[in-house]
Amino acid sequence: MSTSLPPPPQSNPMYSYSTNTSTSTISGPGSHQRPLSMRDSMSRSPNPPPAAPNGAGAAGGGAAGQNILDRPLNKTRGSEVALASWAFMFAEIVSYSQSRVDSVADLEQRLTTLGYETGQRVLGLLLLRSAQASHMKDPRREHRLIPILQFVHTQVYKYCFGRPADGLERSVEGEDEYMITMNQPPLTQNISIPKDMSQLSCEAFTAGIVEGVLDGLDVPARVTAHTVSTDQYPQRTVILVKLDQKVMDRETVLGK
Amino acid sequence: MTVHALWVINKAGGLVFSRSYTDTLPPLPLNTVLILAGTLHGIHAITSRLAPAPPPGAPQAGLESFEAEGWGGKVFLTPTGTKFVLLHSIGHAGLDDLLKRVYEIFMKNPFHTPEMPINSAQFDTRLQTLMATVNA
Repeated sequence: MSTSLPPPPQSNPMYSYSTNTSTSTISGPGSHQRPLSMRDSMSRSPNPPPAAPNGAGAAGGGAAGQNILDRPLNKTRGSEVALASWAFMFAEIVSYSQSRVDSVADLEQRLTTLGYETGQRVLGLLLLRSAQASHMKDPRREHRLIPILQFVHTQVYKYCFGRPADGLERSVEGEDEYMITMNQPPLTQNISIPKDMSQLSCEAFTAGIVEGVLDGLDVPARVTAHTVSTDQYPQRTVILVKLDQKVMDRETVLGK
Repeated sequence: MTVHALWVINKAGGLVFSRSYTDTLPPLPLNTVLILAGTLHGIHAITSRLAPAPPPGAPQAGLESFEAEGWGGKVFLTPTGTKFVLLHSIGHAGLDDLLKRVYEIFMKNPFHTPEMPINSAQFDTRLQTLMATVNA
């Protein structure tokens, strides 16, 4: 029943992006860990068979306790995870990772890798849901830089953290650098960095999500997280997006 | 209606965190506070054995609160054996809720080793904010 109605390829924007054009700094072998899902269906396999994601056709068999892969993808209500549960799990992820790395940079790299895989799944899910919300009419996938960044700033953040990011700015230093700001990042609000690791920002995970989403939309970028405290918001975090030259070239060609 | 101080006692009876939020109670040397916390831990262990027939399945809860002249204490035992102790003025309402709030901002920090002293600046600041709203 759930395998019926494979949608025609052109109406399925979810798989139209390619993931093998990645020029990201994330290396494959490091990504052996399964990403841990923040929401219901983020832990789906990375390459589901084309017929499987059709949540509209698979509405039947919604018994509780069924396999997470069989749950309907378009059900959003009641699938949020409590922040406390997340905090405990993320704390474990960080301490697990910490015991397997030598340096702060390695630890951030590991968190970014996890976030990257999450981001790839978030993107697929969000595109599918937005297509379904418009009843498969006129499914959209942004291709210009600014709408893509706004998509990350608003939709991705809203899905992951419950609210859009607090700011999206272009860096004054370079045309190809953008900053996504969050005053009180919810994922890491319980984490207190010890003084000897002051370089570390556990928001590297969020940076990974952003990188994964951008890469999926064919906007390769190097994404890093930096804590920029202010008096009012000691945990204010800036996600710095340094776009690949290829993206800038493409934007120039596309023009206005 | 003020909260004078907060102690966190680990399951072995060691004091892992203590902060004073008012000047009402005389400041004690750290060693004395450590001894007091250890004594409280012992009393708690004894009182938890006092119930003649604890209901089956119920956790072995001991001392929950105590009162002295002008001030009192409230003990909150977590399932892992950590105890939170609030020293407060007599007639303070909503202590249970307050202790739950404190428990909520406790832990979840990957850089903290369980049962060891708490050196988290963030835990401290968030407690300060919480206590400031209570004591206001």
